[in-house]
Amino acid sequence: MVVGMALLVFSRALAEGGHEDWIDAGVRLGSGHVSIQAPEYRRRRTIEHRLSDEDRLAVETALAEPEIARRLVAAAPRLTVQGLASSASSALPVAVTGVDPEAEQGFSLLPDRLEAGRYLEPGDRLHAYVGARLAERLDLEPGDRFVLTAQDESGEIVGQMARVVGTFRTGIPEADEALVQVPLHMAQQWLGVPGAVTSVDLLLESSRAVRPVLSSLEIVLGELPGSIVPLDWRVAQPELDAAVRMDDWADYVFHAILLGIAALAIINTILMSVMQRTREFGVLRALGLRRAEVGQLVFTEGMLLTIVSGLAGMLLGVAVVWLFFRDGLDFSALMNTEMTAAGVVIDPVIVPRFHPTQIAQSLFFILAVGILASIYPAWQATRIDVAEAMKFSE
Amino acid sequence: MNKSTAGSERPAAVRTEKLWKVFEHDDIRVEAVRNVTFRIDPGEFVVLSGPSGSGKTTLLNLIGGLTRPTDGQVWVDGREIGSLPDRELAEIRLERVGFVFQAYNLLPVLTALENAEFTLLLRGVSREERRNRVEELFERIGIAGLEDRLPGKLSGGQQQRVAVARAVVGKPALVLADEPTANLDTATSASLIDLMAELNRELGTTFVFATHDLQLMERARRNVQLVDGAIVADERRG
Repeated sequence: MVVGMALLVFSRALAEGGHEDWIDAGVRLGSGHVSIQAPEYRRRRTIEHRLSDEDRLAVETALAEPEIARRLVAAAPRLTVQGLASSASSALPVAVTGVDPEAEQGFSLLPDRLEAGRYLEPGDRLHAYVGARLAERLDLEPGDRFVLTAQDESGEIVGQMARVVGTFRTGIPEADEALVQVPLHMAQQWLGVPGAVTSVDLLLESSRAVRPVLSSLEIVLGELPGSIVPLDWRVAQPELDAAVRMDDWADYVFHAILLGIAALAIINTILMSVMQRTREFGVLRALGLRRAEVGQLVFTEGMLLTIVSGLAGMLLGVAVVWLFFRDGLDFSALMNTEMTAAGVVIDPVIVPRFHPTQIAQSLFFILAVGILASIYPAWQATRIDVAEAMKFSE
Repeated sequence: MNKSTAGSERPAAVRTEKLWKVFEHDDIRVEAVRNVTFRIDPGEFVVLSGPSGSGKTTLLNLIGGLTRPTDGQVWVDGREIGSLPDRELAEIRLERVGFVFQAYNLLPVLTALENAEFTLLLRGVSREERRNRVEELFERIGIAGLEDRLPGKLSGGQQQRVAVARAVVGKPALVLADEPTANLDTATSASLIDLMAELNRELGTTFVFATHDLQLMERARRNVQLVDGAIVADERRG
């Protein structure tokens, strides 16, 4: 029971840590925990559905709200369009994102995945940070120039020369083959939309902060005439959401098995105790204890056993995680190559995490298991025949 | 008029009327108690004797409400108990009947004092009164000073004295003892019998024993003999 509970705590902390790392990597590479956009932008990713200067101002005001500000790690304004990258050797479809290099440093994973050259800097004008595989296919190296073309605000195809300042490699083919980052002001000028962005993406302290931040944003932005919507990462990145949910279910099944084993251990322990103490229960009945009182006695013993061993198991689990694995479990030996899932590179080092909700849930489950597992032995104890119990030899 | 009180001022401590207990298992039918009608008056010191399998323990269990009759009726202290619901039967056992078993059956995790006061605890008697009554009783039955010992640290005779204390501490109308001396040596048995006879005299508690013990049969003022579940003799001594 103690070992089962310790395993449960350990496994839940590992699952929580793994998921949080996964989500963190996903949102850092994508559109953050929350992405603030124009309502139509999600369906039609064109510059037509952008946030105006006024909208951005409203968003900045909203982000200053204490309920949001204390959970906000970074906010990145972005202008993203679909376009074409052309060099002397080839032309390939790309997603071009105008970014604020300073904001991206604390937000995006791309600056950390630098392969050659450097990341964008605030003073850059006509520079681009390019996926390594795209650079290879266009035969580009840092310092080389290439042309980006996309539709501008009026629907005209417009081109822009840019110089490669650096290349990145994430391990995710979709990113490495088709992402280009350029300075935000360059993108705005090139596309004829000064001051405009297509989204303001928010990185929060953890995925658990999404709900309260979203609620606060909906209240603040709800006063505007419907020109801005905040989107949860689950909506903005449905593949990541589906993958996390699927993994959640796998964890639930595993935890249910662990709880089932713990329940069987309790039932077995209490039932054995009831069988070994048949004569004792017979004596109690003979002395005047009612059937229900004997049942209550066994039930209480079961609950005490559950609570004591459950808490001991939880403490053991927390202690093991804290003492041995607080810096993370390194699974890299099990991964020969970089593993990706739902557009995210899985970090081979998983840092277990605890959360008050998770502890409360574990306590709730332990109690529920204790109640369910104590009912049957308690019922059995009420059925003891007193006269037969007296014949029972221990 | 209550059937049990008919023809007498005080209700009988025990009365049975055409009492039967039949066990049936896999086509085997055993008539453990057959058509037993008898009466035990308050304050009597009675043994139920007979060979093994004669139905002594079953009759004792029927009187104590530990098992239900197949047919017939049984009254304890004026109350018909054969058809009482479990809850009320438990109350009767708690309030009116004390039990002494062959194997002592003390609760191993409780001290001698806690074992003795257990029924008082169930009745909701205050801690102070419980302690006073048990300590007084322990003094009287010669086990003062053993209050804090666990049953495992007591001799057989001492354990059975604690069991007797547990049975009489609540001043029940009736004490039922099933082979109380069977696990004791002759001297300890004699001393225990003296104790129970004294309690019977001084407290007026009715004692009913199921026993093979000749010492106990000699000390009893009445010997109800059973053979094959039926009463074959009922002898009273002056």
